[in-house]
Amino acid sequence: MTHFTALLASNDPPTLAELVNPRSIQICLVFSALLFVIGLFGFMTRRNMIVMFLCTELMFQGVALAMVAFGRMHLDVSGQVFVIFILTVAAAEAALALGLVVLLYRRRATLDVGAWSELKEC
Amino acid sequence: MPSTILYTSCIAGAIGLYLLACGTRGPVRGLGTLIALGGLAWLISATFSSIEGPIETSVLPLIFGVIAVMAGVRVTTHRRPVFAALYFVLVVVASCGMFLTLHAEFMAFALLIVYAGAILITYLFVLMLAQQSPTDGTDSGSTWYDRTPREPAIALLACFILLSSLVQALTDQSARAEVIESAGKTVAAEQVAWADLARMPRQLERVATEIEPDTEEVLGGINFDGTAATIDVKLTSGEQKTLTIPEEAMPTNTQTIGLALVSDFPVSLELAGVILLMAMFGAVVLARRQIELGEEEIRESAGMTPSVQRGGDE
Repeated sequence: MTHFTALLASNDPPTLAELVNPRSIQICLVFSALLFVIGLFGFMTRRNMIVMFLCTELMFQGVALAMVAFGRMHLDVSGQVFVIFILTVAAAEAALALGLVVLLYRRRATLDVGAWSELKEC
Repeated sequence: MPSTILYTSCIAGAIGLYLLACGTRGPVRGLGTLIALGGLAWLISATFSSIEGPIETSVLPLIFGVIAVMAGVRVTTHRRPVFAALYFVLVVVASCGMFLTLHAEFMAFALLIVYAGAILITYLFVLMLAQQSPTDGTDSGSTWYDRTPREPAIALLACFILLSSLVQALTDQSARAEVIESAGKTVAAEQVAWADLARMPRQLERVATEIEPDTEEVLGGINFDGTAATIDVKLTSGEQKTLTIPEEAMPTNTQTIGLALVSDFPVSLELAGVILLMAMFGAVVLARRQIELGEEEIRESAGMTPSVQRGGDE
């Protein structure tokens, strides 16, 4: 605890030895797995189309977190650059998916994906 | 991490999430919350104690992660989509906190601006365009399809098998050894930082001029001997001098990301622009309304005079 308060009190930038903390990297990796799985669960169980797309964004968050944590682990900035590309794809997906949702809502006047269940083959 | 702890905590989380998703009454959902929190706490404490490392700098990612996961559960189980979207903002903010603790400052704020600022606003707009008011007379403020999960048991089975195998892979012996080994690479980190600075000649020149105002040009690259970095410069008087670069001159996170983006991934950067442009076209084509034009309107939009009047004039 004294370490913690000393860390809060000091104005010095952290030294490089403090930058790579294996425990915090491990924690971030486990939380990224948790976020991904929760997003997957939401995508499979929700019926509202907008919330389903929201859950895919949750999965993107988990992957982005894993990318940054692995990048920090290998002291490489490529992980963060990949997050920029994830961000691009997420923005493109949001724009397209929400346009699609508006279109589908105009046809059937409901957000329920079950209203489109005749699209599946069996 | 022992697999018994892993599987038990995953099963506890799954049961809690099932009760949260399917429970219709308050006490059932409260019980689900308790069980899921217990599973989460067990999993996290096992992760926390499975590896060595400074405790004080791992407390913040832990707190942010717990906030992110709890808000994520609310996103997937909340009955009202608007609240789900608002809880997603909380997920973004909390994971940006984790990015800050991982020293990815640029990505943290970029995610905050793009996700919480732009994408979520789009979601809220569409929710307002398309959300229906409840028609079946209940006061829960949600429609039936927001209250009824689809196949929650099967989904939970799949998800938590995935979760346990992911956590197993992330925390097993070899992965742990790799993480611990990476923590010993502080010298390598400095080397990487100086190498990045050496790839930015104008920045390097600026640094040299700040230390020695008489600098005319920088000769060669940065020499790093493990403790201090030095550069050779030529002064305006013609003599050479060796300067020691202070640690503050290391390129910042934003600078290294920009450097990697334009020098290592230039094609991907262009393609990202093309993807965004195509998505914009696609969204416009998808969401526009089909307007049936009559003959008169077509003639008018083509710049021709209306046919009836012209016929009268002639």
